[in-house]
Amino acid sequence: MAKSSFINKIFNAGPLILLYYLCISEVDTNLEKMFEIFTLNFQIILIYFWVIKRPDIMANGHIFLAGLINDVVMGFPLGISSLSYLIIIFVGTYVRNKSVNTTIASDWFTFFMAMIFSNILFFSLLNNFSDLSFTYSKIGYNMFFTLFMFPIFWLLFNIYQITFIGNRDA
Amino acid sequence: MSVSRDDFSIAFRSALLQRGGAQKFSVLSLIFLALIIFFLDVYGVKFTKPVRSFLNDVVYRVTFLASTPTRFLPQAGKEISSFFNVKEENERLKLELEKYKSLELNVEFLTDENKNLQKILETEYFNKNLSNIILAKVLVDKNSPFLKSIIINKGTRAGILKGMPVTKDNYLVGRVVETNYLSSRVLLLNDLNSRIPVTLNEGAQAILSGSGTNNPILEYLPEDYETIEDINVFASGKDGIFTSGTPIGITNTDGTVDLFIDPNQLSFVTVNLNVQNKGKL
Repeated sequence: MAKSSFINKIFNAGPLILLYYLCISEVDTNLEKMFEIFTLNFQIILIYFWVIKRPDIMANGHIFLAGLINDVVMGFPLGISSLSYLIIIFVGTYVRNKSVNTTIASDWFTFFMAMIFSNILFFSLLNNFSDLSFTYSKIGYNMFFTLFMFPIFWLLFNIYQITFIGNRDA
Repeated sequence: MSVSRDDFSIAFRSALLQRGGAQKFSVLSLIFLALIIFFLDVYGVKFTKPVRSFLNDVVYRVTFLASTPTRFLPQAGKEISSFFNVKEENERLKLELEKYKSLELNVEFLTDENKNLQKILETEYFNKNLSNIILAKVLVDKNSPFLKSIIINKGTRAGILKGMPVTKDNYLVGRVVETNYLSSRVLLLNDLNSRIPVTLNEGAQAILSGSGTNNPILEYLPEDYETIEDINVFASGKDGIFTSGTPIGITNTDGTVDLFIDPNQLSFVTVNLNVQNKGKL
């Protein structure tokens, strides 16, 4: 009994561990080396899905901390990724409060809104308060591929949720 | 109408302020905290620099450790495949060795001749200050669509300053843009923020600008200058930071430059502590 509870805890912590690992390790979801324009913000897909489906396993404080770690590793001003992730949480929680049942299509649309708000904040802060420059085409590609890949990861996370965590969805 | 507005405000407030269960902090409080941290970092209040520097050092080391499996697996794959090609490789290496033996004498002669000619021209020998060059290991090489940089395991303790040139096999790789006590961040030549004064081997001056892709672009070339293929590009040293004559790459017809060193394949680099003008850093 105790053993199965421990294994459940590990499975429940899986998404959070993945988020921390993506932020702190060299592993990245930018496949520019293979495909010139393919870049993907996997962290926001991960956060949005679990905030919508199971906010109890993706605590705000942990996401905030993961954002800070991401800033240090990527060389961005401290706090900027955290802000961007918190906007995702905010939109996700709002959608969760307002909706009774969600589908992949509704989640995809609301994710698009969340990503827009989050990226507007991220790049306007970066543009106004740091010396870093970036090309708008890269931002566009990044947003497009993140949005494009969302349903794929939605399905994968859904399978993970059903198989290992169980559905306690609202 | 008023009911739907009430619904909206309740859901909005709840999303911002909701706590309880796993959520120990509300989104609003964390947004405020993130904004405070952001502005403290951006405006560089006195105490934030050492704190950030300490954080950087700790996180970079943890990142290095956390990335070990991802580095080990491709390496193991390569070693297994090379194990099966040992015989073939041995024969190829024998042939190459013969070729290099014959070239060695030629190189020795040319090196002596080069040194003598440099003495005549009274220019600095390129590797004169070898003691001021330190070897550093690449700790983190995280690919980002917006920043092309690496983290090295040497910092201010080893004498590294912001702006110092970083090379590999005497080819320019980038410059130091952030220093911590035990680590530094190196901005690579292909980063969008990188600008280097360069000279082409015909004497034309230009600025090499990072484009975010693997091939930086030559800008501010002389008027009517037509870029042709395979022209060597060197650092001009006009900024007083980069050693003049440090090779960078070769030109393409479209005005981009193929770097001699692939910025995605760096494991060890050297930092030249002997920059020409430290006052400018």
